[in-house]
Amino acid sequence: MSELIQKLTEGKIDFEGQKFVERISRDTLIAGTAISFLAGLGLQSLQVTFGLFALFVVALAIAVIPPWPSYNRHPVKWLPVKETKAE
Amino acid sequence: MHTVYARINNISAMLSTCVMVLLAAVSLSTFVFTADPKGTLAVSSIQVFPGNARRYANKNQDFTFVNFNLTADLSPLFNWSTKQLFLYVSAEYENKRGVKNEVVIWDRIVRRKEDADLSVAGRNKYVFRELSASFKDAAPAHYSLKYNIMPYVGVLTYGEAARTAEPVPFPERQELS
Repeated sequence: MSELIQKLTEGKIDFEGQKFVERISRDTLIAGTAISFLAGLGLQSLQVTFGLFALFVVALAIAVIPPWPSYNRHPVKWLPVKETKAE
Repeated sequence: MHTVYARINNISAMLSTCVMVLLAAVSLSTFVFTADPKGTLAVSSIQVFPGNARRYANKNQDFTFVNFNLTADLSPLFNWSTKQLFLYVSAEYENKRGVKNEVVIWDRIVRRKEDADLSVAGRNKYVFRELSASFKDAAPAHYSLKYNIMPYVGVLTYGEAARTAEPVPFPERQELS
């Protein structure tokens, strides 16, 4: 039980998952900045800008920070253990 | 990105950069919104009385009382980054010694676009006194309405919205009866 909690709070994900997470977090934040700026400029309201931006950030955090199982679908393939010759 | 801590760290770093870029973009966008609204300001009555200021009980000096009518529609100045407008009416004149004076006699803070359409019959909120204690032989004064746009993010901008068409002379000191 405590091992499960430890594994969840550490939240390791494999390398393919890390690549994916890096790409979508960078793209979402840049796109979110641009979209929320243009929406606020059009509607002339700073509340729209920062509200929309906060929604983007919360959605990104939920999608990316917990170690979802889909990020662990490509575990590293270790080579089989080699028998060492006794000296 | 291998642990929860690393993901939170990376995302918060990118996030703070994005927020700073967003704020810089908002403040740059304020340069696009230029508006120069004009209004009218007229002095309806002006009187000069002698008296003592509370602070200097023994100094007998002149006090000017100005009633004015002000109309201006300043709602074009409200854009998304305008937090409030600080408006002030100031009297500009030269006293008999040739010293230029600019005295703020009335001010108002406007926080909403709906409140920016002004039609005010006001009198001076603040004491209008001359440092040399007498308005005798002072040059006629120009009264002007100036504004200061205070943004949420951006630079402070100043402007003038109304001015009396002709300078208004100071009357002779009246004795209180």
